[in-house]
Amino acid sequence: MAKKPKLFIAVCTLPVIFLTLVFMIFPMFNAIYLSFTDSTALNVGTASRFIGLDNYKYMFQDKSFFQSLQNTIKLMAVVPVLTLFFSLIFAFVLTQSKLREKAFYRTIFFFPSIISLTIVGIVWSSVFNPNKGILNHLLELLNLENLQHAWLGESKTALWCVAAALIWQAAGYYMVMYIASIDGISKEVYEAADVDGARGIQKFFFITIPLLRNVIGITYVLSLSGTINLSFTLSNVMTAGGPNGASSVLLQYMYTQGMRNANFGYAMAIAMFTLAAAVVLSLLSRRLTDRTD
Amino acid sequence: MRINTNIVKRQVTNWILRLFLILTSFIFLYPFVWNLLSSFKTNTEYLTDPYSLPAGLNFENYINAVKKANMASYFLNSIYVVVLATIILLVFVVPISYCLARYRFFGSKVILNIYMACIFLQATYIMIPLFLELQAVNGLDNRTMLALVYAVMQFPFAIFTLRGFISALPTDYEEAARIDGGSNFKILLNVIIPLCKPGIATITMLTAMGFWNEYPLALVIMTDDTKKTLPIGLANLFEVQKYATDWGALFAGLILVLIPTAGIYLIGQRQLLLGISLGGLKG
Repeated sequence: MAKKPKLFIAVCTLPVIFLTLVFMIFPMFNAIYLSFTDSTALNVGTASRFIGLDNYKYMFQDKSFFQSLQNTIKLMAVVPVLTLFFSLIFAFVLTQSKLREKAFYRTIFFFPSIISLTIVGIVWSSVFNPNKGILNHLLELLNLENLQHAWLGESKTALWCVAAALIWQAAGYYMVMYIASIDGISKEVYEAADVDGARGIQKFFFITIPLLRNVIGITYVLSLSGTINLSFTLSNVMTAGGPNGASSVLLQYMYTQGMRNANFGYAMAIAMFTLAAAVVLSLLSRRLTDRTD
Repeated sequence: MRINTNIVKRQVTNWILRLFLILTSFIFLYPFVWNLLSSFKTNTEYLTDPYSLPAGLNFENYINAVKKANMASYFLNSIYVVVLATIILLVFVVPISYCLARYRFFGSKVILNIYMACIFLQATYIMIPLFLELQAVNGLDNRTMLALVYAVMQFPFAIFTLRGFISALPTDYEEAARIDGGSNFKILLNVIIPLCKPGIATITMLTAMGFWNEYPLALVIMTDDTKKTLPIGLANLFEVQKYATDWGALFAGLILVLIPTAGIYLIGQRQLLLGISLGGLKG
């Protein structure tokens, strides 16, 4: 290899590093700094005071914060598991079956994951609309009127409507990852199972799932952080966190505190708490699933 | 006999699977179809029976969406931001990825590690500091600024993917070009970029779609109604429609936003699916 072209390298890298510092690293450190101050719209910058851990302490006395934390935990407990379960089933069926129109189903299942979350939110709001919504209409057709709800308007159901939209938009995305990995499993493994007389369900539980364990671990982490992050947009578009905070999630509450109430310091404490939780959870679940045998 | 029952069994399983897949497809498609049908209905039609077929192809909603609901300017804003952000991204990312793939220099390891860590840093976490920063330099409501911020947010993913791609390329062509006396810049332009086309195409598609759909940053950075991008404009329209009754324009707007995405998806599906296996998009 030729001598290191120092000037060339500098020209190629320095502008990128500069922009990253300005628009990513600096805001990140500023977020950490702000979370220890009392800055609001009125006293941002030098006028704000350093208040140590007060924002973090306040967080644990704030009922609305607890509500959004609880909602986020509920989503994280339910959404990744169900999403990945459906993705795995779709991927398994589409790779194992000999149906001619397989590619067509894959195209359809994947489609929701490339469209704007705003659209996902609006489309699912029309599914859950109490008067004209698809779901209530369906229940009426099935003579199940007693199961009808105001869905997004009721505090008991609103969060689960957001969860449904989250699962619906992400299932196809992970399905594609699983299809790629199942295609990587040698055909002989399945053929040998066929010879041994294994049935579809047995193949699913005894071949596919064990062999995909590592991929499932990675996608679980992705799905966890995706749930924390994407629930912001969906909850903001579908319910704005309502009714009465029943569907607010951590980042949505951060947005409300920061942009609506202009409590920048407090909002950043919430953001840093969420980020730390996301990182810790990812590392933990990676550690648990990555136990090499 | 035995073979016969096996064939029958296979047929039955196939049809059960098919039924399952068709039902699932229905869950995936019906909300869109319903929206598409509703977009052709007059308001009276929609209010009397949202589940009937539209009386005819009524384009009034689309005209309303474009004229009254500002959809045309949201659309243009989105195109401007997406195109500019993608160009900025590629202009900055290709050279640094090449350097990181081919040279070890002062700080190259640190740079790589930082970008790898940054892949996990979602824009939502830093949207408020970014808002404050842009406010301080008068950069709010500025489409060019939004495009720049979008591009930077995708630096980690793009650099990581492209560096991997370039590392896997053979160095023969570069060395030949170097012997011919090509400068580094010329080698990058005439040798590396043509070889990288598949990688660049995948990154372009994934990031452009991400830019087209981006919501959190645009929400805080673009507050002036004439400067909003489609996802924000549409969410706004949805908010307004909750209290007004012109549903048609909303459905039409939704379809308008979907058309480019659906088009690109159908054309570039292979590239996109490949990109997912590399790990990109929403995450």
